[in-house]
Amino acid sequence: MNKTININLGGIFFHIDELAYQKLKHYLDAIRRSLSDDPQGRDEILNDIELRIGELLSDRIKNERQVINEADIDEITKIMGKPEDYLVDEELFEDQQINKQSSSSKKLFRDSEDKFLGGVCAGLAHYFGIDALWVRILWLVLVFSFGTGILIYAILWILIPVAETTAEKLQMKGEPVNISNIERKIREEFQDVSSRVKDGVNSATEKVKNPEFKRNVENRAKSGIQEIIETLGKILSAIFNIFGKFIGALLIFIAAITLIALIFGAFSWGSIEMLGFGDDYVHYPPFFFDSVIPSWLLVAFTFLAVGIPFFVLFMLGLKILSNNVKSFSSTTKLSLLGVWIIALLGLGFAGINFATQKAYDGVHNQTEDILLTPIDTLRIKMVGDENLSNRKELRRNYGYESVYDGDIQKLYSTRVFVDIKTTDKENAFVKIRKESEGNNRLTANKDAEAIEYQFNLNDKNLLLNGYFLSNFHNKFKDQSVDITIYLPVNSIIYLDNSTRSFLNDVDNIQNIHDRDMPKNYYKMTENGLECLDCNETIFGDDYKEKNGSFNLKLDENGLKIKVNDNNNNAEVNIDETGITID
Amino acid sequence: MKIENTKAQMRKGVLEYCILSILQHGDAYTSEILSQLKDAKLLVVEGTVYPLLTRLKNAGLLEYRWEESTSGPPRKYYDLTETGRLFLNELNSTWSELVEAVNLVTNKKSTEK
Repeated sequence: MNKTININLGGIFFHIDELAYQKLKHYLDAIRRSLSDDPQGRDEILNDIELRIGELLSDRIKNERQVINEADIDEITKIMGKPEDYLVDEELFEDQQINKQSSSSKKLFRDSEDKFLGGVCAGLAHYFGIDALWVRILWLVLVFSFGTGILIYAILWILIPVAETTAEKLQMKGEPVNISNIERKIREEFQDVSSRVKDGVNSATEKVKNPEFKRNVENRAKSGIQEIIETLGKILSAIFNIFGKFIGALLIFIAAITLIALIFGAFSWGSIEMLGFGDDYVHYPPFFFDSVIPSWLLVAFTFLAVGIPFFVLFMLGLKILSNNVKSFSSTTKLSLLGVWIIALLGLGFAGINFATQKAYDGVHNQTEDILLTPIDTLRIKMVGDENLSNRKELRRNYGYESVYDGDIQKLYSTRVFVDIKTTDKENAFVKIRKESEGNNRLTANKDAEAIEYQFNLNDKNLLLNGYFLSNFHNKFKDQSVDITIYLPVNSIIYLDNSTRSFLNDVDNIQNIHDRDMPKNYYKMTENGLECLDCNETIFGDDYKEKNGSFNLKLDENGLKIKVNDNNNNAEVNIDETGITID
Repeated sequence: MKIENTKAQMRKGVLEYCILSILQHGDAYTSEILSQLKDAKLLVVEGTVYPLLTRLKNAGLLEYRWEESTSGPPRKYYDLTETGRLFLNELNSTWSELVEAVNLVTNKKSTEK
């Protein structure tokens, strides 16, 4: 039992069973291909052929309900002939056929006789004149490099037609382009030229007195030179041909790899997004968050904007390799171009949108007093929140984390800068300056104000948050918090170790670097902090030079006092041997 | 070298001449041309004829018109053009020369033996 199909062949209606239909279609397609050297006449010829097949079929059918089967089609092809019988000798019609050269050159086909899957490898091997085994090995290597081979194979399978007729099979296996063939061609040409010149010279010596013949010789010599130039041209075009193929192969390779990378990129983006673990590990380009365009669309735009040009390159490479590859219709080309332009516009729009988000700087200031009796020592500490951040150590950095405050996703940042300054006022106070960027001054200020930052004063401890929270979408607005602690003169503070990475250019008399300051007591003077118990090794070089230095060391060996004052050195040692003074 | 190929080449060479000759007695539609050629055993498969007809038409030697048929779809009737007629006359003389030449050569050989 077979399905039947209704067809219109040359204006006559037929019932045809499916297998027979396939057979007939193949036959007509093969004829179409074998006539492909003559595109204008082809449609007309095919029309005539269809008309005739229709006629023949209607002769075979006894009544209207009879279905055409495979045997009928076989009979028809026997009458009509094999596809290659439709080829006409070109020489007979040479004056109408000017640009007919390609019929003798090699064409890229899939080899249906020597195949594992679609015969792509064998076809390529015929085309390049190498053994199919090498192509298959290369293909396997590509398969194992992230499946590149599979994709390339699929594309080639679709684009390259299978060699069906004998003529096509011959074209597929034509002469390989290799050095020995080129050499042979050159030698042939050269022998031709030299024998012509020789002929000319011989006859010239015989009849050199005849002025008419002299002219003749000149003509011959001239044609000899023309021959040489033509030969050179042929050599050059052969070389260009090889180079062209090489460039084509390179284009295909590059474009295919880029496309595969893009596809993988887009897919992994999608899966990360779906599984929801991307936030901590993947840093998306900024406009993914601030854009009015949804991020999946941006991914699509990026994919298309980059992918389409490479796809075109890929096709170009194939075209260079073989003029036999099916090309796209102009509608497809135009719509590709259209899609590409839309993707570019979309990306441009998103980019501009993002740029405007960062156009203005906004600031929010906030001042709070600290109640502090002059004799108290204020201990300054930075605190984190273990419930929010996964990081063990609290320190300033320029990254950000995504955290959940209750159910709300928030931006967690440790961009907190601490400075300590002197003030004329009686009371100590803390000034908090929040900064953000935005697409205008007002929103920038609002975003700055919305930054969540807190500090606490309990007993004598000033507990400053070592982090701030903000709307997650403000990820790329360069937000930060500057804290300045203002202290009246003579107040004493202790910097906890936790402040190490947060201190930012704190003025102090001994020129101690921010990183070395914690774990020491300081007293506020009019010129900044003065360390009360620091080891002199951490003093800045400037300070050491100006004020000299003093070192006292007491251990099991005894007591050692070193004094260095403006290059005058003095050293006192007290140990088992007694007291020595240098 | 296959004998079939040589035979086919020989036939192909005279095919246009024969098509033009068939049409010199008046117009004919494709199937008529085909059956005449087949009767004369000039044609093994029909496929060869279609490209030839189109090329001859494109060369201006033939022209065609559509004519309604009582049994089935309209038919394509071919006819010689004026150039086609001149072309055919030329071919006629070439053909007789050729026949003479071939006869001469083949007969000579047989008498030599």
